[in-house]
Amino acid sequence: MNAPTSEPERLSLQDELFEGVRGGSRRALARAITLVESTRPDDLPSAMALLEALHSFTGGSLRIGLSGAPGVGKSTLVEALGLHVVGLGHRPAVLAVDPSSAVSGGSVLGDKTRMKDLARSEAAFIRPSPSAGARGGVTARTPEAIELCEAAGFDVVIVETVGVGQAEIEVAGMTDAFVLLELPFAGDGLQAIKRGSTELADVIVYAKADLDAVAAAGACERMNDALSLLRPVSSAWRPRVVTVSALTGQGVAELWSELEHFQEALAAVGAIVARRQRQSVKRMWRLIDADLRSSFLGDSAVREQLAAIEEAVARGDMTPSMAANALLVLAGRGPG
Amino acid sequence: MRIVSDIIAYTARHMPRFNSVSISGYHLHEAGAPPALELALTLADGKEYVKAALARGMDVDEFAGRLSFFFGIGMDFYVEIAKLRAARLLWWRIMKDMGAQRPASLMLRTHCQTSGWSLSAQDPHNNIVRTAIEALAAVFGGTQSLHTNAFDEALALPSDFAARVARNTQLMIQEETHITGVIDPWAGSYMMERLTQDMADRASEIIAQADSLGGMTRAAESGWAKLQIERCAAEQQARVDAGTDVVVGVNKYLASEDEPVQIRTIDNTAVLETQKARLRQVRAARDEEAVRAALRALTDGARSRRDNLLFLTIAAVRLRATVGECSDALEEVWGRYRAATDGVTGVYGALWEGDEAWRRARAAVDEFASLEGRRPRVLVAKLGQDGHDRGARVVASGLADLGFDVDVGPLFQTPEDVARQAVENDVHAVGVSTLAGGHSTLLPALIEELRRQGAADVAVFAGGVVPPLDVEALHEAGVKAVLGPGTTIIDCARTLLAGIHAPRT
Repeated sequence: MNAPTSEPERLSLQDELFEGVRGGSRRALARAITLVESTRPDDLPSAMALLEALHSFTGGSLRIGLSGAPGVGKSTLVEALGLHVVGLGHRPAVLAVDPSSAVSGGSVLGDKTRMKDLARSEAAFIRPSPSAGARGGVTARTPEAIELCEAAGFDVVIVETVGVGQAEIEVAGMTDAFVLLELPFAGDGLQAIKRGSTELADVIVYAKADLDAVAAAGACERMNDALSLLRPVSSAWRPRVVTVSALTGQGVAELWSELEHFQEALAAVGAIVARRQRQSVKRMWRLIDADLRSSFLGDSAVREQLAAIEEAVARGDMTPSMAANALLVLAGRGPG
Repeated sequence: MRIVSDIIAYTARHMPRFNSVSISGYHLHEAGAPPALELALTLADGKEYVKAALARGMDVDEFAGRLSFFFGIGMDFYVEIAKLRAARLLWWRIMKDMGAQRPASLMLRTHCQTSGWSLSAQDPHNNIVRTAIEALAAVFGGTQSLHTNAFDEALALPSDFAARVARNTQLMIQEETHITGVIDPWAGSYMMERLTQDMADRASEIIAQADSLGGMTRAAESGWAKLQIERCAAEQQARVDAGTDVVVGVNKYLASEDEPVQIRTIDNTAVLETQKARLRQVRAARDEEAVRAALRALTDGARSRRDNLLFLTIAAVRLRATVGECSDALEEVWGRYRAATDGVTGVYGALWEGDEAWRRARAAVDEFASLEGRRPRVLVAKLGQDGHDRGARVVASGLADLGFDVDVGPLFQTPEDVARQAVENDVHAVGVSTLAGGHSTLLPALIEELRRQGAADVAVFAGGVVPPLDVEALHEAGVKAVLGPGTTIIDCARTLLAGIHAPRT
């Protein structure tokens, strides 16, 4: 990786972070995540250099995506699962993503309040991040943050996100196992499947089973019936359904053992590697898309005309294709 | 619910003249619930307790007469009187529906406390008058007992002098004014009867809403109740900060000079040491074996649902088990409740739409973000035994509306916890909200802990109640700024941005 030599102090930053991340420093890992999430253009070379340097130390975790509607108990379950795997000698890292306000760009990040015990555990690392305008309830840099956690020695990485909009698809597209959290008393299995996200799930969890054990068992049964109608994502794994009460701890061990079975079953046929390969290529294209879009938006001629052209399209004075072409020409990209 | 119904059952049988439960709205009031919301949620709580007692087979008239209430009384004079009058009306209806027969079961009896939130740190002698007005509203409303706050409580724990004035406020109403010689003196006033009816109607609607969510337990569990309150709190603060709601000496008619008041200072370290020593003494002198057995019985009782938990707790406490040990014994079975923390956003900012100072502050935040490569990130933390998080939550919500990324920490954290969270979340600054007098010990400990964890560059701020005399010491310990009561969110943001290390260039 060629870092610009004109910035010696940047070079030392990424070296310092490399040493720190490999040496197990929390502070260094936290700052490394900040660096890769940074939107400052001149941070990009150091971020890339750091990721490149750490690359050979990545990939060593089970990457779990966890999503569900607001209030379904994601953080509570993540804490219970995290503490459970700590007890088994694992080192979990949690990347919790909270939506940023579309109005102010700011955010309130409160996940750790519900992971008080895990936040104290020496073996764990929890990093809440604002989605900062990225689509689908993940940050633009979550995949890189996963790799940094792996390089720091964390062997279970959980990406927790609110299940709105594109979130499930995004998270499932950057993790090995996708866990979908549902409440037992909200709708039946068929309805859930119609929503689409269920198709992506490797494990479906009915949370808060302590509130109504009968409802949870019933929901579980109906979901199993419904799932039998679906074609599984991988031929090596049929999605499982478990009921969990994070409050009493019931079902947490079972959830973890399902995830372990999942990992074994997929690893046996090389499906995890294949999944990650596909994800990497997709990731490359995502980054290209994002960069093209942002350099397009950064073009001064485009910036000058954009509002007026948008308005013209909205009024119907200009067709969308004409407008797109006009803007691309302005950016020096269109056919002209 | 199990604990409450056990308490009701035990006291009904063994302590028939004891007020079994004080069903509180005060904490809701102080957290920001306006009168109708406070009233509704409190009565809905009461209803839930009664249902729990009925579910275990008790007769409603056996216990209902000993339930009592506890409301907060703020500065909205007529409305607060109407609130207490409406409370009696609605409770009578609720208890009728529950099948109560005895007049005592239908009667709402209540304690009231003047509002702590309404007290100002600026020009604090004004608080004597505020408390007197609130006390008057409580008495006109027909409260059975009353707690008047001391005028210096926005600054510190009350001095003896301030406490005496607060007590005398009650005595004057009781013994000099003859006000207490008349029951319900506002009855028959068209204005008051109308206010009472409106209050009752509004509260009934909210109670029905809570019922439709499955009762108050579910409503609280889902975070619904908390969100209702927080929304109101953010709005209220925005109105005060913008000057729409007048607070004399705070946002209007400011005193030209600051007159210092004598306040009580507390040596935290000494208090902690004394308390620890007493605890050691208690533990050394008790029969450890018997205590363990009693605590095990308590845990078993929680699990089996057979024995009365208050009975078992009294047995354990008689053997000198501590409160902490008893709650640990129960926690083993039930875990610990954690409040949902999905804070509100957009509410504070909405009231500032179009304001020039607000727009400038937003622009400053955006400029910081583009220079730094990310938004200014602040951890709003609560340290130690301090459960007052209204201020922290309003500040968090307002800063997010200005474009900050705000981490909200849990209650009751240690300096180690907060420092670690600051490190992992890689925040620019930590703002500690302190309202229970722990600042002199806890803030220096936090700064030390940040240094130890390699994050000495994280700027530390304090907000809340810090006596003027302590401010200097905090500055010396490395606290960048102390943001006292009356600081607007815009001022907060400005101070934070100035205190955070300059964005990288």
